[in-house]
Amino acid sequence: MDHHDGFREFVLARQQALMRTAYLLTGDAHAAEDLLQTVLSNVVGRWSRLVRDGNPEAYTRRALVNQYISWKRRVRPEVLSPWPPDDGFSHDEATLNRVMLQRALAELTRKQRAVIVLRFWEDMTETQAAEALGCSVGTVKSQTHHALARLRALVPHLVDVEIEEVRR
Amino acid sequence: MTRLRDALGELAEQAPLVSLADAAIARHRRRRAVRTAAVMAAVVVAMTSTVTAVAAWPRTDVTSTDAASTDAVSTDVTSTDTAGTDAAGTDAAGTDAAGTHATDAAARPGAPDLPDGPGAGEISHAYQTQCAHDCPGPEWWVVTRTGTYRVPGAYGDAPVAISRDGRKLAYYSESAGAHVVHDMVTGKRTTSPVRVARKRIGPGSMLALSDDGRHLAFDPREGSKDPGLLIDVRTGATRSIPGVYEVVGIKDGLVSLVRYRRTDLWLMPVTGGGAPVRFKGTFIMFSELNPDGRTVAAMEFEPRRLTLLDARTGRRLGVVPVRSPKGSRVNATGIWLDRHRLVVIAGRGTAYVVDVRTGEARRHASYSSPHKPAMLILPGLGQYLR
Repeated sequence: MDHHDGFREFVLARQQALMRTAYLLTGDAHAAEDLLQTVLSNVVGRWSRLVRDGNPEAYTRRALVNQYISWKRRVRPEVLSPWPPDDGFSHDEATLNRVMLQRALAELTRKQRAVIVLRFWEDMTETQAAEALGCSVGTVKSQTHHALARLRALVPHLVDVEIEEVRR
Repeated sequence: MTRLRDALGELAEQAPLVSLADAAIARHRRRRAVRTAAVMAAVVVAMTSTVTAVAAWPRTDVTSTDAASTDAVSTDVTSTDTAGTDAAGTDAAGTDAAGTHATDAAARPGAPDLPDGPGAGEISHAYQTQCAHDCPGPEWWVVTRTGTYRVPGAYGDAPVAISRDGRKLAYYSESAGAHVVHDMVTGKRTTSPVRVARKRIGPGSMLALSDDGRHLAFDPREGSKDPGLLIDVRTGATRSIPGVYEVVGIKDGLVSLVRYRRTDLWLMPVTGGGAPVRFKGTFIMFSELNPDGRTVAAMEFEPRRLTLLDARTGRRLGVVPVRSPKGSRVNATGIWLDRHRLVVIAGRGTAYVVDVRTGEARRHASYSSPHKPAMLILPGLGQYLR
């Protein structure tokens, strides 16, 4: 036993879910891993306080989104990867949707992308998303509006016309 | 928005499997150490400046010009000294490492040694160099996104293993008389507390490494009845593996063991237990366990065809009609990218991704090396090419 055991258990249980969010935010496996590891290395330093004071997972998710938004754009060298290139072999509908969505998400600003992930992947309300992003509900609404408009132009079949549904 | 949610879900499923706890802790510790060192250095500089200033203080009585120049000189000397000492300290460490590197690099031109610290990056593949003439013996070289490195200390005649994510490398160290797990992200080397005599490592010895670098499965001699060993690198606990089985790999806490000819597959938990399952027919080149937790791919011996097998019941699930480009022969099966896509190796070092539903194969990567490799090791691939 060492004083990091609690943190280890938390990471073991939640890392895959957090990784999915990081992947949706960055769209790149290596960047997602980098992002999550950066955030977790900050979380480990505050672990005892987080456990005592509140919800470590909520904090980690907030940190993940904020770290992503504030991350400097970095030129990434070509990386040798065991994963196949984007122009894979399968062209079924799900794969096409995935590829098209990935490209469409890359067209959004970081904040817009974060809002889409929080609202439609994390299923957060506007208030929760605003809290996670540290901005006003109005900002979340406008970012969501602009992001959906952009996505609707790029992948119309994935974005329904009604946005009312998401206003909870 | 259901379709958007579904598509996001599909996309999120592409996120790779990770094991980040130890890496995050290591990164945190490193950062804290750097911060502490910086604070200490600042304190030393401040104290030295104070001492210098105090020492210089009486001289102000002489003449202001003298004092100014003396002070300036003292400070300069002190700061040069401090910097010098600091730099010397850093250099001492650097020279130590760099010196060793330089010596080794000079002795073996072409590949620097794998650095001691972090930064080498994930491994794409490793290969054993062939010794043509006048060389000390085979060596292990690894290719990462930052370059190609020689693995110092790795015994050239023993196999290495790379974790599925390429972040960890295991090799046998002759000087330590034990296996070493090198974390490519943190640069940390962990020597197994279990000593293995070099003479136990025979021809065709095999090694497999778990994704977290904690467990090693060592098979001393291919095709022999010598028992293998499952080693917990963290605690030193060992578990004997019956000699009739050969190690395929370790994934999700299960060691894949194959008994050829019959053919039996035993997915043995790292804590022991489990029972072998027998397949009807003879199969070779077993893949790791599919993410569905029950399917494995293997090559049927006669006729030679890629087959899907149920690892729980032993049932044959189907044959994959691989349509590999240029008819190159499959030499090994590798890891599963997802439930339907299997990496296979054909020829001498070209990987293809095969869709097991259709048999369609696409070129995935070629693993080149400046030498004709004697062995090629890929992440998560317990078998290697010769």
